Amino acid sequence: MKGNAQRGHELAFGSFGIKALESKWLTGRQIEAARVAVTRYMQRQGQIWIRIFPDKPITKKPAEVRMGKGKGSPEGFVAPVTPGRMIFECDGVPYEVAKEALRLAAQKLPVTTKFVVRRDFVESSNA
Amino acid sequence: MKTIDIKGFKREETGKSATKQLRQAGSVPCVLYGGEEVAHFSTPQKDMRNLFYTPNVYIVKLNIDGKEVNAILQDVQFHPVTDEVIHIDFLQIKDDKPVVIEIPVKLEGFAEGVKAGGKLQLEMRKLKVKALAKDLPDTLNINIDHLGLGKATQVGELNFENLELLNAKNAVVVAVRLTRAARAAQQKA
Repeated sequence: MKGNAQRGHELAFGSFGIKALESKWLTGRQIEAARVAVTRYMQRQGQIWIRIFPDKPITKKPAEVRMGKGKGSPEGFVAPVTPGRMIFECDGVPYEVAKEALRLAAQKLPVTTKFVVRRDFVESSNA
Repeated sequence: MKTIDIKGFKREETGKSATKQLRQAGSVPCVLYGGEEVAHFSTPQKDMRNLFYTPNVYIVKLNIDGKEVNAILQDVQFHPVTDEVIHIDFLQIKDDKPVVIEIPVKLEGFAEGVKAGGKLQLEMRKLKVKALAKDLPDTLNINIDHLGLGKATQVGELNFENLELLNAKNAVVVAVRLTRAARAAQQKA
């Protein structure tokens, strides 16, 4: 995948988020593992938004099978991600909690990410 | 409304290569329109931080090579990966022409619903308003003292002098939601 994200690279819902710095396919399992990590750390406080969806079906041939004999069977779904793409957003928790929760989520993903904060964010805001 | 002074330098050359050189030198290409003519200028990137990285909205007093103009921030483009400012649009304001701008919402008071165990949620941090530049306030103050548990304030219920709100009338600005614990307690009772 060439180029940077042309859409979905800004915070749209929450005050905090992580964005991808590399191109890669994120599988449904990886996204779910990251979501669980965020939810567990935030102890069901606040809110999270998942900005990507694995809607691209991926096929794979079984192990020890010769080439040919048709295409492999569907194995799962992936979300293609390009640099700049916002992956997760969260809100309703303090800055430190959000940063740690999203760091744990980033560890479940195969791409390097960066933590971003809303430009007009103020810690004492009542949002 | 608060004002901020920004110094600009007129651009002799526009186009891709000149703009790239400008960005490498630490400046941001800008455009000013809404007046008699369109002005292309640049400004140092570090001067612009106070304009974006704040919850406040400003009227910008632009000084482009000695010529002073009042403007508002119309649009900003950021790099998708590095989040650096790529380009800024300014809209010149005139005394007799209304402008459309997003003004931050400020909540006042202590909601009844929060006292009863609810959670206050500010759904819209900014509201789009249309008004003359002289009538633009710093913030839109909304009193929430009367807001009970499960209640919400919609755009249609708000009224500000000399301001026209452009958001959908049924859009929720602020609400007091039931917390999970409160909902569970209510179901048990």
